[in-house]
Amino acid sequence: MRDMMSYRYHPFNEIVELEGGLFQLNMGPQHPISGQGRFIVITDGEIVYSIEMDIGYSHRGIEKILEYRNLMQGIVPIERMVMLDTSNIAMGYVLAVEKLYGVDVPPRAQYIRTIIMELNRIISHLYALGLYSESAGWNPAIFLWTTADREPILDILEMITGARWSYSFFIPGGVRADLPRGVKERILTTLDYLENRIRVYEDSWIYNETFRMRTEGMGVLPRSKAIEWGAAGPNLRVSGVPYDTRKNEPYAAYDELDFKIVTHTAGDSYYRGWARVEEIKVSIDIIRQAIENIPEGRIRVALPPKPVQEEALARVETGRGELNVYMYTEGRDKPYRVKISPPSFRNFYVIEQLPKIQTIRLADVPPLIYSFDPWFLDADR
Amino acid sequence: MKPEELEKILKEKFGENIFSTKIPENKRLFIKINGDIVEDFATFLKENGFDMPITMGATDFLKQKRIEIFYAIWSSTHDFVVFFKYDVPRDNPVIKSLVKIWSGVQKFERETWELMGVDIEGHPNLKPLLLPEDWDYEKEGYPLRKDFNVNRYMSPWGDEKQ
Repeated sequence: MRDMMSYRYHPFNEIVELEGGLFQLNMGPQHPISGQGRFIVITDGEIVYSIEMDIGYSHRGIEKILEYRNLMQGIVPIERMVMLDTSNIAMGYVLAVEKLYGVDVPPRAQYIRTIIMELNRIISHLYALGLYSESAGWNPAIFLWTTADREPILDILEMITGARWSYSFFIPGGVRADLPRGVKERILTTLDYLENRIRVYEDSWIYNETFRMRTEGMGVLPRSKAIEWGAAGPNLRVSGVPYDTRKNEPYAAYDELDFKIVTHTAGDSYYRGWARVEEIKVSIDIIRQAIENIPEGRIRVALPPKPVQEEALARVETGRGELNVYMYTEGRDKPYRVKISPPSFRNFYVIEQLPKIQTIRLADVPPLIYSFDPWFLDADR
Repeated sequence: MKPEELEKILKEKFGENIFSTKIPENKRLFIKINGDIVEDFATFLKENGFDMPITMGATDFLKQKRIEIFYAIWSSTHDFVVFFKYDVPRDNPVIKSLVKIWSGVQKFERETWELMGVDIEGHPNLKPLLLPEDWDYEKEGYPLRKDFNVNRYMSPWGDEKQ
């Protein structure tokens, strides 16, 4: 009945009737809400019997590609995993290389990295919030607002790195260039603007009674299950696990900055959205501190000729959660094997398991899935 | 518990079945174990608070004719990662699924089965995940293995069928 091949041979059937009165709905990959993947939802009337995330529509084999690139060339393909969040993704790769070579990155480069990564996290969260509001059938203006509010940040990132996304700005041993003149003032102005905008989002959307009623208590992920199934990122933190890689295993300049982890114990869809708004506020705080405390000095050191470690496991916190990169090398300038474990891949498993522990209605499926901030390109690699 | 303490406990408990351990940095413990004891080892880790799988995969060592399976497990109580691995022969790679111990490794094991060609006993949901549905394993091979012919897909002229 639920054999994968049977529906793959009938890809154009949106609704298939199964035995026992169950219906199978194929949402995607051309469905407006699905993105580059497909949700296979089996329903019993209005109650969802199971959700399956069918991924692989944009599988590019990045793990394999990296085996044929040297360490510097590998930065370009790995950034293609998530275009919204490229610097955080690239950080995972660069951190793994730095662990292999045992490099100490100069403090100024660490601060520049932190600023860029937090700016990137803000635009990633803004996009996630926009998609979430769209999927909940909420005012489409929210998506347009968040898209418009990403623009000033993209302009700053263009000013620093030369590109609006996929910067290739972090390299093993440091960053490619120093901060340009006048960028600090511009960042501070933009952050002030963004703080005002977040107040607008809160008033009109996240603290709005209608949105609360729509999403509160929906898709509750208990703490024990979040750990067992391996949820990642804000989804894990609102289920009551105070894990943030920036805090637990500090990289870049996070150990020198003072910030809090956004946690909650509710674990439902509403608080997954709420956590992203709160995390934007934390990111603004981090950037302000980093700009204030940024030291002078070098921005880059050369890599030693040979790696000192055979293997390394790097963990970083991307916008969607924890990304970890396992890298094994045979002492050459190419990795022998890179295993990337992206956050969305883990979150998809959590989404698949949720209908087994609670009742989910069909109309709740898109906001439920988008409260997890899925990104199919991230899971596909 | 610190990685050093766990290393000592595991060495006492499993003795010769632990081939090597190392702590390259803070909050990491890399262990190479005998593949026969993997279920006991995993159960022991789970009982000692290692509850969250963060990655799983395999490395193909073509010249040494072995495939190395690895799991990385994070502990929510002790806050560090145990990275354990073991070898299976390359010509007949069969491993036991750890889904019953850590539910979250299910998708990772499915991916390893598909891309590395490792058979997994006791896995509840072995279906194609990332590759096209008409993928011919006998002709094309397993993409993450080292003898996979990449040149077919990396032609500078964009001609896939050379």
